[in-house]
Amino acid sequence: MIALLAAASDFDPSHEFELHPWIDLQLGPIDLSVNKAVAYLWLGGLVTILFGIWVMRFGLSLRPDRRQTTGESIYELIQGQIAEGNLPRKAIGMWFPYVASLFLFIWILNLVGFIPLPLSDEKWHVLGTEIPTWGIYAATANLSVTLALAFITFFATHVEGIRYNGARRYFKSWIPAGAPKPLLALIVPLEVISQFMRLISLSVRLFANMLAGHMLILVMIGLIFIFSAWWLVPFAVAFGTVIYIFEVAIVVTIQAFVFALLSAIYIGAAIEPEH
Amino acid sequence: MDLLLAQATGDVADLGKAIAFGVGVGLGAVGAGIGIGNIFGSMIQAVARQPELRAELTGIQWLGFALTEAVVFYALLGGLLAFVLV
Repeated sequence: MIALLAAASDFDPSHEFELHPWIDLQLGPIDLSVNKAVAYLWLGGLVTILFGIWVMRFGLSLRPDRRQTTGESIYELIQGQIAEGNLPRKAIGMWFPYVASLFLFIWILNLVGFIPLPLSDEKWHVLGTEIPTWGIYAATANLSVTLALAFITFFATHVEGIRYNGARRYFKSWIPAGAPKPLLALIVPLEVISQFMRLISLSVRLFANMLAGHMLILVMIGLIFIFSAWWLVPFAVAFGTVIYIFEVAIVVTIQAFVFALLSAIYIGAAIEPEH
Repeated sequence: MDLLLAQATGDVADLGKAIAFGVGVGLGAVGAGIGIGNIFGSMIQAVARQPELRAELTGIQWLGFALTEAVVFYALLGGLLAFVLV
């Protein structure tokens, strides 16, 4: 009983998502310390760059091999499903690269988050040396990361809207056409709030999806230790594996896709508002 | 069972928060479950009627799926916030 309670109180899945600074870096009031999430971001950025170079930058031929087909199908997915039809023709050359790198970067960040890597804060002592334990953690399971990405889209949306339409016409396009005058006092604040809600929904969707995915796997495995029962092992591991496969096969790609698609829709709608 | 009893004899406010968290997330999941079922049901109907539109509809389907699925996580986040802050 005592052991059971001790095990239960020891286990808190949210501890896994606490970030401890590895290298302290304070810039006045801004905390720029390097921690686990930053390491994962660097890794994700590096992998994205290398992936892009490997897939598209050399050895392209008229008879494509496997590598080239992979690259082309990814390109086609972004071009056909995300960019075309959502971004207006005059802006597609400028914003396709942004949307494509957004998709690739988030996709790879999410994928890297499900590969066990020795990058955790917990250490494992063996033969007098400290080796970090292998763990899974996604940079996108961190609200700061997704909020920063959402802010880029947010600013791009309004900058492009003003650049193409002029400030007056752009802000006027927020108000639905033909709205009765007395209702304007109600509609205008609502529309302004809805613009900021986009920022929240865009970032929280990705963040909460990744957090919940990792949390579920963690809780499934953690159940073994909470109840300290051996008969639970096959069930917990089976459920954990099912969730893991669901996340890797579906959620990872869908979330990256949706983030890029919504960015394209927002930017496209700002450039060419429906009057 | 022992574990549940031990928790019940603890702080009642914590117990209430735990129940509220569970009920909140559960209700959020009910809504999203209905929504996701609707989306895939409509997708099956649409493809059955017009199979040639499949490729075009798939993108819309996944967008709707992700937008609906996110509702659970808003409930989860709201529940977590209430659990931690209140």
